[in-house]
Amino acid sequence: MNLMYVLALLVPVAFVLGWWASRQVGARRSGAEVSELSSDYFRGLNYLLNEEQDKAIEVFLKLAEYNRDTVETHLALGNLFRRRGEVDRAIRLHQHLVSRPGLSDAMKTVALLELGEDYMRAGLLDRAEALFSDLVAMDAHAPSALRHLIAIYQHERDWHKAIEHARRLEVMTGEDEAPMIAQFYCELADRSRQHGARAEARDYLHQAFECQPDCVRAFMLTGRLQSEDGHHVEAVTAYEAAVAADIAFTPEILPPLLNSYAHSQQMERAEGFLRSMLERYHGVSPVLALTHLYRQRDGERAAIDFLTTQLRLRPSVRGLMALIDATMDKIEGEARENFLILRDLTKKLLEGQAMYRCSRCGFGAKAHHWQCPSCKSWSTIRPIHGVASE
Amino acid sequence: MRLLAIIILLIFIAAGIVLGALNADLVGYDLAFARVKLPKGAALLGAVVIGWLLGGLTAWLGVSSRQRRQHRQQSRADKKLPAQP
Repeated sequence: MNLMYVLALLVPVAFVLGWWASRQVGARRSGAEVSELSSDYFRGLNYLLNEEQDKAIEVFLKLAEYNRDTVETHLALGNLFRRRGEVDRAIRLHQHLVSRPGLSDAMKTVALLELGEDYMRAGLLDRAEALFSDLVAMDAHAPSALRHLIAIYQHERDWHKAIEHARRLEVMTGEDEAPMIAQFYCELADRSRQHGARAEARDYLHQAFECQPDCVRAFMLTGRLQSEDGHHVEAVTAYEAAVAADIAFTPEILPPLLNSYAHSQQMERAEGFLRSMLERYHGVSPVLALTHLYRQRDGERAAIDFLTTQLRLRPSVRGLMALIDATMDKIEGEARENFLILRDLTKKLLEGQAMYRCSRCGFGAKAHHWQCPSCKSWSTIRPIHGVASE
Repeated sequence: MRLLAIIILLIFIAAGIVLGALNADLVGYDLAFARVKLPKGAALLGAVVIGWLLGGLTAWLGVSSRQRRQHRQQSRADKKLPAQP
């Protein structure tokens, strides 16, 4: 009878021990899987860092098959696909993530944000807009969603909506978006000006100045409006204010400014202003403008003397070309032939040069853009200062 | 750690042999459909082995059924994937 008690006690004790041992073995095995996953993860990361995206995708795909619950791996894969231009795969992956049952709300909104970016990359702007609007309405990743929405409205040139969302972003993040909003108002003003709605254009410019009192573009547009209306004295004032606001835009401002000086017959004021510019601005544009002014007023000799003196102080290919053009008529024979060769050479040198560069992304451009075509930032494209350019 | 496990295992084997030798006399069991006679040591060992196996089996069944359920849910989610735009 005693033996039966012992046996009855032994069976449950052995049961518990067997159950515990089995759990221990299972835990150890899953631990091995985790470490295998970790090693794969780091291998994928290594490929990414080495810019070997094909191999990284292969590793991450394998990783995603191992552990279908790893949302982060899927998100990384989707990003990789999008970066490689395989937008359709990225969209399918992110859609799959969004439709996954049991996914936490936080992860679902991240996947939605990624999906919106996929749509943007694929050019499906209406779908992206709907997604980002939903995210903003849900107050999930709202600043990022708002930034994407602003980018979409900029692309669609829907400046009113861009302004509305930029203001919301400003309130949400506390960051100063006023310079960007001023640019949007300038876009609206320019559009109104082109359509002949001059009062509306002035109203938009007024709002641009309210956002950014020293907005160069708004000053330039004001000058242009005044000049087109025949108010050249006011145009001169606006252009001079534009130079004072940001001297870097001098090459853009000088041609219309000189035109307004000429129309308002204020050549003395023009000379004084350009002289003061020589001290403040180290580019060649004011020198060329003054040379032109002296040629008209004092004759070719005075212009050449001034240009020669200035070129010694600030050597420039554009200045050299102006000097060659000015002296060409006075030279004959073999020297003239040599000058022609030199002029062609400098012309070709200038033709291949980027005259402007984005101070944010380094994008080089031959013409001026208010919004960088590459990084889409505003008012960052500026003239390049150097011997071959400004 | 492994050496300690081997030593403990050897101690248990030795204890089993000793217990088996000391309890070699037969004991009868009535299992309702059959009557068996077993040595006392074998009965003890059998109880331990059966309990251990039942415990391990229960734990394994619990884990594997949970994994199967998750896998089925995942497959259903895959089938519901929306069409490619």
